[in-house]
Amino acid sequence: MSAAIQASALGKAYRRTWALRDCTLAIPEGHVAGLVGPNGAGKTTLLRLATGMLTPTHGTITVLGQPPAAGPAQLARVGFVAQDTPVYARMTVADHLRLGAWLNPGWDDKLARQRIRQLGLNPKQRAGSLSGGQRAQLTLTLAMAKRPELLILDEPVASLDPLARREFLQGLMEAVAEQRLSVVLSSHLVADLERVCDYVVVLVASQVRVAGEVSDLLAAHHRLSGPRRSSGSLPASLEVITESHTDKQSNLLVRADGPVLDPAWTVKPVSLEDLVLAYMSRAGSDTPARRSHLGVVS
Amino acid sequence: MIRLSLLQFRIQASTAAAVLAAFTILLAATGPHLASLYAADGLDSCRGGSCQNLAIYFSGSVGRGPYGVLFLLTTGVILLAPAVIGLFWGAPLIAREMETGTAALAWNQSVTRTRWLAVKLAAGGVAAMAVTEALSLMQTWWAAPISQAAADGASIGFAQSRFSQLNFDAHGVTPLGYAAFAFALGVTAGALIRRTIPAMAVTLAIFAALQVVIPLWVRPNLAAPDRTVVSVTSPGMAGPSQTGPGGASFTLYADSIPGQPGAWLLSSGPVNAAGQATSSTPAACTSVGTGPGAGPQGNAFAPGQGPAAFVACLAGHGIREAITYQPASRYWRFQATESAIYLALALALTGYCFRRVSRLS
Repeated sequence: MSAAIQASALGKAYRRTWALRDCTLAIPEGHVAGLVGPNGAGKTTLLRLATGMLTPTHGTITVLGQPPAAGPAQLARVGFVAQDTPVYARMTVADHLRLGAWLNPGWDDKLARQRIRQLGLNPKQRAGSLSGGQRAQLTLTLAMAKRPELLILDEPVASLDPLARREFLQGLMEAVAEQRLSVVLSSHLVADLERVCDYVVVLVASQVRVAGEVSDLLAAHHRLSGPRRSSGSLPASLEVITESHTDKQSNLLVRADGPVLDPAWTVKPVSLEDLVLAYMSRAGSDTPARRSHLGVVS
Repeated sequence: MIRLSLLQFRIQASTAAAVLAAFTILLAATGPHLASLYAADGLDSCRGGSCQNLAIYFSGSVGRGPYGVLFLLTTGVILLAPAVIGLFWGAPLIAREMETGTAALAWNQSVTRTRWLAVKLAAGGVAAMAVTEALSLMQTWWAAPISQAAADGASIGFAQSRFSQLNFDAHGVTPLGYAAFAFALGVTAGALIRRTIPAMAVTLAIFAALQVVIPLWVRPNLAAPDRTVVSVTSPGMAGPSQTGPGGASFTLYADSIPGQPGAWLLSSGPVNAAGQATSSTPAACTSVGTGPGAGPQGNAFAPGQGPAAFVACLAGHGIREAITYQPASRYWRFQATESAIYLALALALTGYCFRRVSRLS
């Protein structure tokens, strides 16, 4: 199995600043993968590098085993919904579908028309007068109907109201279920990811803090609370992600390869949001060995 | 991709079609009348020297009327068309996609950027050249009587030589070169600046500057000019100027070369018998007055006075006029060379656009 997106020491430098620096990651195929991280982590840069909208200044990136946007065939394999979901304001909805049909040999016109009908969009309406949610749905339709193997979405719902957000993600999930395609989407809103993703990558300052299947990650992480003790006294099988202490009590979020058996701890499961926030707020120097163990796919 | 560029091009295309239609109607409605005026002035059936006088009369009378205005107006449209195309077709082609973010949509279909740009450039470039040249050809047809009057020796009113800047820029194949270049310039400016309005401003500034620089300083040197020395014969050719510190001086006026109709005069100046440039009046001629009152009775000149006597005196002292010029026979060579320069510039810009667009993000 090749990776949907594989990056090695990937970097994009502008004259004075790094948009992405020394990023190494592998997102496996066959998942709906969420790329999450604070603003400025490099999510958009990474996804634009993956679509070939940007070219790297350092390192390498492959998408489905090929260099991004290497030719018409590779372009056909990857669908992209860009941030702010741009459309041609003066062209109608129907014109956009025509554009898709003309420019994509694998275009699924039936799917496109069906989606537009379900969404209740008027084909004769100009795209410039669509609401943000409708516009996002239109670009998603375009990206889907070209029948890609991988769909990349950059903050697709960031500017949408909660209802439009839910509808968009629902539409995405239905399409994924029907089409069996891989998805990588970025968001800084964990709640969105929780709803749709079965794989998550936490990116902070170009570095992967944690990556893995959501179910595995949730099973391996625990929230521990108990009498105050220093984290240094914990067994080696527990990796502390975050800790907070009061006078009498310690609260930890840990990664444990096995069950936590120490009866002194009250063990609770973690939510994906807790887990992601814990990794995002964790100080930057997690061990490279640990990271590669978590991040690599076979 | 071709169909997409046609779809996206329809607003510009309909504007161009409207301009072309208005232009066609205007010229088709007035062209036959203009030709009938030409024929009515006897220019259809004249022979030899009488043609020049008829042509001067025609150009003077008709050129002062509405047809003179229409001639300037239509010439202006042809000269402005490339600039307008560069601004409104060229500059937004890439800049608008970058500004609105739709580049992310366009460049993520199953078509490479190179192909996307190739089709867009080809469609826009061909349309730009076709529209401009169509305007030019229609106006050339309409203005055929005027051009013929100029060829017959008239150089007043709207009848100017083919080398005059208005005619040279608006007729022949130069509009093709201007249109291709202006379009490519607009696209390049848009690709570099990524914002439509500034790209339009830069396009206009560069194109306008070239349209001044090339006719003034480049075009005259596209071929080494011919030189000739003509004798001063006609009274209209010379007159004394003010007497200055260096003694009395005179000037020569020549707007044509005997035996070289339609030639493009680049420079002219008097030379003495030894072939050296001079402008001081020979001492013997200073007493030959030419102004009113030089003669004893009103406007009649005394023997040995007046313009004819002055010219004869100059000629008698070996004064002749040295002229550098481009012969009329070089017209098409100049047209082809200048078009080729603009087309080469357009190609170079196009090549740059392809390199640039593969790195844009």
